[in-house]
Amino acid sequence: MTQRAFQSTVARLVIDPDFRDRVSVHGVIALGSDLTTLERERVMAIVSDKGLDATRTLHKSFRLTKIYTLLPLTRALLGPDHLAKEIDSFWKAELPVSHYFMEEAIAFCDFLRDRICSGLRIKYLKEVIAYERANLELRRPRTNGDVPKPQFVNFDHDPVTLFTQLMNGKCPQVVPALSCLLVGNMGQDGEVQWHISTDGN
Amino acid sequence: MDDLSLIPKLGIGLLYQDQLRPFIESQRARFDFLEVIPDTLWTDLGTNNNPRYIESLHEVSFLRQLSAEIPMVIHSIGLSIGSACRFDHEHISQIARWYEWLKFPWHSDHLAFIIAGHGMNEINVGVTLPLPYDQESLDLLAPRVAEVRSHVPVPFLLENNVYFFEYPHQEFDEAAFLNQLCETSGCRLLLDLHNLYTNSRNHDIDSYVWLEKLNLENVVEIHVAGGMEDNGFYQDAHSDTSPPAVWNLLEWVLPQCPNLGGVVFELLGSWYIDVGEEGIVAQLSQMRELWMRYKPAPQPELVI
Repeated sequence: MTQRAFQSTVARLVIDPDFRDRVSVHGVIALGSDLTTLERERVMAIVSDKGLDATRTLHKSFRLTKIYTLLPLTRALLGPDHLAKEIDSFWKAELPVSHYFMEEAIAFCDFLRDRICSGLRIKYLKEVIAYERANLELRRPRTNGDVPKPQFVNFDHDPVTLFTQLMNGKCPQVVPALSCLLVGNMGQDGEVQWHISTDGN
Repeated sequence: MDDLSLIPKLGIGLLYQDQLRPFIESQRARFDFLEVIPDTLWTDLGTNNNPRYIESLHEVSFLRQLSAEIPMVIHSIGLSIGSACRFDHEHISQIARWYEWLKFPWHSDHLAFIIAGHGMNEINVGVTLPLPYDQESLDLLAPRVAEVRSHVPVPFLLENNVYFFEYPHQEFDEAAFLNQLCETSGCRLLLDLHNLYTNSRNHDIDSYVWLEKLNLENVVEIHVAGGMEDNGFYQDAHSDTSPPAVWNLLEWVLPQCPNLGGVVFELLGSWYIDVGEEGIVAQLSQMRELWMRYKPAPQPELVI
């Protein structure tokens, strides 16, 4: 049991800066009672070690890569500072549970959707995350022969203009209004295909 | 029979990355075998899912074709053999399934924990965290190695870890711990010279003293790679060709590893553009030169 508690504590020191701060400030009182004296001594030795910062940086890079890789449009729209702020809030609520990128990126889309529902206002964000989430849903790993359901995303602005600006790394300036539906399917070649429907077809 | 007698002398290996496919296809004569990280060719949906592992048909199909022409070994990142919260029996079964079609002569993973318990849940740190070099860790690892060996009938290697912090008052130093682990569990070693170099730079360790303590008879595979300096630490980033100090270590250690099966160059696919085809060719050529000069003698055939 104590090995488990020790590893859990070390892992928390890496992923949770608030916990690390509490241990730094309050010492062994901030630790669980299920550690041995030696384990507590070890935790207190590494809590202020710069090597723990390096490990935290590696952990963050690994986790950030998931979002940067799979949500390029959301990343371009939010910009580095705002994205970092939202990711910090997301990480406070969501523990890293998987080595794989997909679930974390989908969970981040859902987090942003909830933030919009509770008042976050960033122009085009609702459309962009709905599109990128749908794109991931189509690409979600499936067993052989399991075909993903088509995905539908409503847009109030011209998606081609919007995506072009974002893919060029620009924060969108003027995007014409256009009420349309994007329909996504997995093609025979294993690539996701999207088409725009402006008349409900 | 000691499993060391079954280890083929494969030679020079390259870590498979999807971005390196053009190189792998066009420069096939530059290397003798490929090392594959199987976890990147499947998605692990987690312990509560059935099926749990969904393989990338595209890449697995490519490897199946290639495996008819060139030997492959696998180097997993998903076992987290040091995790005290649980032992992943299903991962071993998945490796055993891959053995059925890939018939790799050995396989490996990392001596570390990546997954830790968190209340009723688990967290995956995504970084190989160090185990304390204590008897307690040996007691945790030995039966797990035994289970791996009982399911996959080829040598199982564990890789010396990169660490950025050290636990005080450990019962063994790292080399003594690795020796003891091999002796008590029957695992063998993947000696990552770039990890050793990284630790030596970050913790002021003498790599040669470290190597002199290690029982090099246990070394079946060697990794070489390159890295970079970041925020006061040297990182094992697999971002470049090997620095001179790693070449010196390789030259020193090669003649002393009688059971060595191969030397693998690790480069992350995302750095392929920076290193370039010429960079990889130069790296592999230098590895080849050293291998030819110092390669271990083939095992004598048994005469009955």
